[in-house]
Amino acid sequence: MNQLSLAIDLSRCIGCKTCVAACRNYHGLTDHASDMPGKMPYYLRVESRREGSFPNLKLESWVVPCQHCNNAPCVKACKSGSISKDEQTGIVRIDQGKCQGSGDCLKACPYGVIQFDAARNKAHKCDMCWDLVHGGQKPVCAQVCLTDAIRFGEKQLLRMELKAEGKEILKRMSAQSVLYYRDSV
Amino acid sequence: MLRDGWVPTMCYQCKAECAILARVEDGVLKEVRGNPRGRGKACVKGMAGVSLQYNADRLTQPLRRVGRRGEGRFEPCGWDEALDAIAGKLQELRDRGEAHKLTASFFPHSITDPKWRFLNAYGGFINTALPHCDSAKIVAFIKAMGGVPNHHIPPAFFTVPKGGIMIMAGRHAFGCLDDASVPRDILEAKARGAILVVLDPLFTADAAKADWWIPIRPSGDTALFTGMTHHIVMNGLHNKSFVENWVREGDFERLKDYLADKTPEAMSRICDVPAKDIIKLAEMCAAAPSVGVDSFKGIMLGQAMDFGHAWTNFLAVTGNIDNPGGQPLPDLTPLAPVEPVPPAPNLHERGWHRTGPDKDKFAKYSFIMEPTWYQAQAIKNGDLKVLVVAECNPALTEMGQEEWRSAATMTDSKGNYLLEMLVSYEIMLSETSRYADYVLPDKTYFERWELLYMPWWYNFGQGIGLRQPVVEAPEGCRHSNEVFIELGKRLCPEYFAFKDDVEFYDRQLTGLGLSVKKLQDLGGLWSPGTLGFRKYEKAGGFGTPSGKVHLYWEDLEEVGQALPRVDLAPEYRVDAEQYPYVLLSYRTIFHQGSGQWTHNNPQLRDPVGGFRDNPLLINTATARKEGIKDGDLVTLRSRSGQVRVRAKCTERIRPDCLGLHHGFGSSIGRVAAGGGGVSDNALIPDSGTTLDWQDLVGGESHVSTRVRLEH
Repeated sequence: MNQLSLAIDLSRCIGCKTCVAACRNYHGLTDHASDMPGKMPYYLRVESRREGSFPNLKLESWVVPCQHCNNAPCVKACKSGSISKDEQTGIVRIDQGKCQGSGDCLKACPYGVIQFDAARNKAHKCDMCWDLVHGGQKPVCAQVCLTDAIRFGEKQLLRMELKAEGKEILKRMSAQSVLYYRDSV
Repeated sequence: MLRDGWVPTMCYQCKAECAILARVEDGVLKEVRGNPRGRGKACVKGMAGVSLQYNADRLTQPLRRVGRRGEGRFEPCGWDEALDAIAGKLQELRDRGEAHKLTASFFPHSITDPKWRFLNAYGGFINTALPHCDSAKIVAFIKAMGGVPNHHIPPAFFTVPKGGIMIMAGRHAFGCLDDASVPRDILEAKARGAILVVLDPLFTADAAKADWWIPIRPSGDTALFTGMTHHIVMNGLHNKSFVENWVREGDFERLKDYLADKTPEAMSRICDVPAKDIIKLAEMCAAAPSVGVDSFKGIMLGQAMDFGHAWTNFLAVTGNIDNPGGQPLPDLTPLAPVEPVPPAPNLHERGWHRTGPDKDKFAKYSFIMEPTWYQAQAIKNGDLKVLVVAECNPALTEMGQEEWRSAATMTDSKGNYLLEMLVSYEIMLSETSRYADYVLPDKTYFERWELLYMPWWYNFGQGIGLRQPVVEAPEGCRHSNEVFIELGKRLCPEYFAFKDDVEFYDRQLTGLGLSVKKLQDLGGLWSPGTLGFRKYEKAGGFGTPSGKVHLYWEDLEEVGQALPRVDLAPEYRVDAEQYPYVLLSYRTIFHQGSGQWTHNNPQLRDPVGGFRDNPLLINTATARKEGIKDGDLVTLRSRSGQVRVRAKCTERIRPDCLGLHHGFGSSIGRVAAGGGGVSDNALIPDSGTTLDWQDLVGGESHVSTRVRLEH
């Protein structure tokens, strides 16, 4: 398996959430006419960490999509067998036809990235834009990122690129299939 | 003919108007992207434009007021009735010789805008959001360099060389109110070795990426730049060849005399930046291959002209005018005039800024448009009788909002409103439309034609963009431009002898050998793709009377502004004992200034996808001193108003400042009504009432003010 991956640059992410809105639009997660703030599903979220005290401050932001875990707990937790890690790409997918809506995967996910659609009684989440990537395109978040802070590709190639550029890969954050990195200090 | 697929058009979720692609499926807008043939990026506001398009609060028929102004009670009426009433009132106003008492308030995002043509033909005025943003910068650039400046727009960051310095002076460039490619371009420049310096009392997203964040005292920018200029000039670090060849004879010597006592130490006491840091930054700038200064909020204050002046002097002595990484000067696109061209009303004869006790002094105001605060004052003076508002929201998002609301409801002894008619074009109801006599349902930017030409675009000097309908508008919606053309046909037909907006644009495009159709076929964008540097060399000089850069402005000698005044602006100095804190009105990428488009948008008010609320930012140490805990409800009071707001204790703001995100406080619309937030403008006085603080040639003391906390 050649794991597909996103590589997220903490030196470039400005926390603008453009990826969140674009992802919602592409995946049809929003009913524009009726949805209300706080009620919309999301496949990505932005996190940030601010350190220091005035005036010596540091702030880093990054996005958290599904991590497409190496040994995905959601796959194990799903009793209906509707979640699988794709052999070819490593993308973790939920088969909407099979999903029974038990919600077990939501509880099992250590990253809190699985959404639950109560109306359809289905779990759903980031599939790394399966259809787009199989058509030779990048996932939406990588396409739209305002500062080009999101790269897409095979994990080992991305890692090679980042190493060649002297980037610091954040090992703790990159424990699964998504890489997080920053400019080396 | 509308079609499915990716269609090139132009965003209008904010005033930047980026080139975008809109994906349409079965006639329904689904997605937005930056157009790679433009600069390739669209921001979160742009993405959330899909939610604006399908907002359930959209207006689809004209409304007529049935209650008192401000009550917001309306009933539907037909377009014929609304247009007859508006045209009738305008006819009456002109018949009594008061055409100049019509003001249309809109963002003049293109010189091709038919609204602008209508005003010139009819004899009214444009009143725009521009002067409250950066008019001082524009005027400063005109005075110093001549011609139309690249004003609103930052340095072309994609041209900044390795080692170049990018200074954001109170500017929030990552807020994307310029082209959405700006954040990428700044970070790209950094990646090739440019240096980002942010001057801001608030630790912004920009500051988070800066090589050096300088938490300057608000309005200290003039002193900081003057202190740097002192160090550079007095130590002979200036660009000698530029000064020798391109600065007007005698000006450098005058500047030197003026600078004698403006040492970094003296300037440090004003701006609260250590003298050693002023010197360090000055030496960095003198040694760098380029310095670009971007500002916006940095000059949104009284005496802003002085900042614009200090800044242009700095650019001139360091030779950073129209060079890669410095301040670009635009090229002009040769669009054809649509003959006959209506003459604009004579502003000096009709009276600039016909307002207040200093009315005469304002004849010196040298910008081309009326500022927003003029409205309230002019209604009271009897100088404004018909107001048409499109794409702006003075009852909420401009300083002195209470003054505006009160003026809009003032009556004479017979009970008639002083403002005889207020018309509001809206995509959905706003705070301003509550006061309107007629509310007209506008088309969104996905439903209308517009030819966009702004010589001040980030995108290059030369370039035009086509906004085209990508989806059908709901029946009953008409774009304000179509309606102005209709009014033009009725009231000044000699200037509106063309079929519609498309034909109007067709005629202008003949200057480029194009038509709307051909421009569509080109992909909706046209530009030769050139920027050009040091164009003044080829042109044989600058657009000033001398052909050189003017550092000394003799026309302002009598008001004491021939060279910059370095003191803090008055709004930061007065009543400091009663109002110990300076309120910063700041922006983020999630909301533009006019209110409803972003504040009534579920995606942009969503806690995950946007920015829900505007708590009061207070430095942790200040909060401790005041006995305020995170989340406490506090009262913030200024000379002109008060708001109740939750405190958010943070390290990211100067201890002597408090911060409120601008534009909140709307209570109309499904999303806005449910959201929290307060209007910073409730606290900020109408500049017309503080004319003594006001820069006479371009600044407006209206963005920040002094406040105190009560709890």
